[in-house]
Amino acid sequence: MLRFLYRCALHLHPPAFHRRFADEMLFIFDQQTSKSAAAKLLIDALVSTTRQWVLRPQGRYAHPAESPQTLPDGIPTFYTIRPFRPRKAAAVHGIALTTVVFCLTCFAIRYSWIRVLHLRIREVPFEESTWVPPAAAPASDQTAAGAQRRPAVEAAVSNPIPSAASRVEKKSPQLPATARQQDNTSNPVMPAESGPPEVNAAATALPPANASRQASFAVALRPAAVESLKLGQAQRHRVVRAAIENLNKYYVEPEMARRMADALLSHERAGDDQAITDPEAFATLLTDQLQKASHDRCVEVIYGTEPTVSSPRAPTPTEVAEYRSRMIESNCTFEKIEILPHNIGYLKFNSFPDAALCGSMASRAMKKLNGADAIIFDLRDNSGGYANMVALLATYLFDRPTHLNDFYNRGENSIEQSWTLEPIPGDKLADKPVFILTSSRTFSAAEAFSYDLKMLKRATLVGETTSGRGHMGAVHRIDDRFAIRIPEIKVTNPISKTNWQGTGVEPDVKVRAGDALQIAERLALAKLPRK
Amino acid sequence: MKGNPSDFLPLSPAALHILLSLAGEDLHGYGIMQEVARRKYRIGPGTLYDNLQKMIERRWVEELGTRPADDDPRRRYYRLTARGRGILREETSRLGEVVREARLRLQVAKPRRA
Repeated sequence: MLRFLYRCALHLHPPAFHRRFADEMLFIFDQQTSKSAAAKLLIDALVSTTRQWVLRPQGRYAHPAESPQTLPDGIPTFYTIRPFRPRKAAAVHGIALTTVVFCLTCFAIRYSWIRVLHLRIREVPFEESTWVPPAAAPASDQTAAGAQRRPAVEAAVSNPIPSAASRVEKKSPQLPATARQQDNTSNPVMPAESGPPEVNAAATALPPANASRQASFAVALRPAAVESLKLGQAQRHRVVRAAIENLNKYYVEPEMARRMADALLSHERAGDDQAITDPEAFATLLTDQLQKASHDRCVEVIYGTEPTVSSPRAPTPTEVAEYRSRMIESNCTFEKIEILPHNIGYLKFNSFPDAALCGSMASRAMKKLNGADAIIFDLRDNSGGYANMVALLATYLFDRPTHLNDFYNRGENSIEQSWTLEPIPGDKLADKPVFILTSSRTFSAAEAFSYDLKMLKRATLVGETTSGRGHMGAVHRIDDRFAIRIPEIKVTNPISKTNWQGTGVEPDVKVRAGDALQIAERLALAKLPRK
Repeated sequence: MKGNPSDFLPLSPAALHILLSLAGEDLHGYGIMQEVARRKYRIGPGTLYDNLQKMIERRWVEELGTRPADDDPRRRYYRLTARGRGILREETSRLGEVVREARLRLQVAKPRRA
């Protein structure tokens, strides 16, 4: 029995050691006359096994070159490659070096100022749908943002307001702004202005949560969109007439609406549309004609193979739940809340989510930054969202309710004002320097936030000119397949009496978006009181 | 295996005894164990062959390909190389110094009568 165990223990040795010494060790074992001596040898073999595996790494490999095998026919087998056996010191160095490189790589990915390694997928706003139908290639003068065509259904589904808050607001559209303000003062996280402008703001500046849903709708519709109908002269004419009718009724600037209508009619008269029978190409052409006449990249004729639905409409419970869960998952798109060196607060958030859902999150973020000596809002990847969040965040920067902007709704012929809330108790940021980082990807509500604070001389904007989305719109049904998206709400700043539509918001300090944070930190430092 | 012999000193007791056993004649593993045991020192086969493996790699000891015709075929015989002998000489010399030093100090420490 002991002999069997001893043989097993010998078998446990590294193969090279076993091959070389096992027979002789067994011979020694066989020389033992007493059981106690044999047991000692067994223990010795087990210790030896451990020693060989743990302390003798070179012994784990066979040494074929030192013990050439011979085949039965007498031809020796040659091995030319010796197994690689790193020295202990080399292994330790290797592990240390690998660890250091790994940590540096992680650090570089996390804090890289070069955004090449920034792997987070940015939320895409309504105007920036990422899919372009193959038949609707954008015209050469159109930029990526806002120039894409989407099937009508996709737009119609994504266009409506998916928030519970906006649905509530729709119930009292006729209330004057002051009345609503009183209603809302009971809720410290709700902005004063929460009337129809928000509804419509959401209609265009869609919460980013829906962006991926848009994409999935787009993909789902893609094959169907290829099977399109042939358009006749009468159908084309009908679409043009309906588009003009809607433009005249809803487009935010009546004069521009007339100019676009004239452009459509003159193109039709010139026969520019005649050669086109593909409905998607026709929608693209009309969009081009409209955008060339107005330079407004938000106006768009949309074609889809599914029946179109006018918007805005109330969001379905599923859409509300989906938006809610997306916001919770993404931390309400608040990406970074940090105190930078020199006690500069830094807040990077990538949308303005519905304050009804994310108000407490925003309040927590601002509370965390409350002790900062200056604050930097990073809106470089902010795709916009809800006006109520604009008002809520701006509230922390003023010591009194402040008029931010007005929303003019052409369809309803109404003007709504947006104000900050009553000052938050304990807020210390009202007199602190504020910097806003912008880029060409700063959209819609993020632009409103930047523009309003710039006009109020409350913030210094650092970065690039923003995208220029100052109008908000909705989709109007033309027929079962065609729809038109029309900007029908204009945001007007009470100080400048205009907005950033088409031009974008000009930063105070124009630098590359990638350098904006660094520059803003420097500027903030210069403004801080010397300690 | 290159290097100055003094780099390997001091030898472990097991290594010293193995080299010492092989200094007189070529021996197989069991013979080495018995020879070591004769000097009141015990090593098991695990320690023995671990040391032999290292010594063969360092070219201190070589394995002989031959054995007496009537011997057990499992036995392998080992011989001390010139390098191994040099190492043993160095170690012996070092130990001699240690012993001499020790004797000297022990004499100094011995109380003398006035």
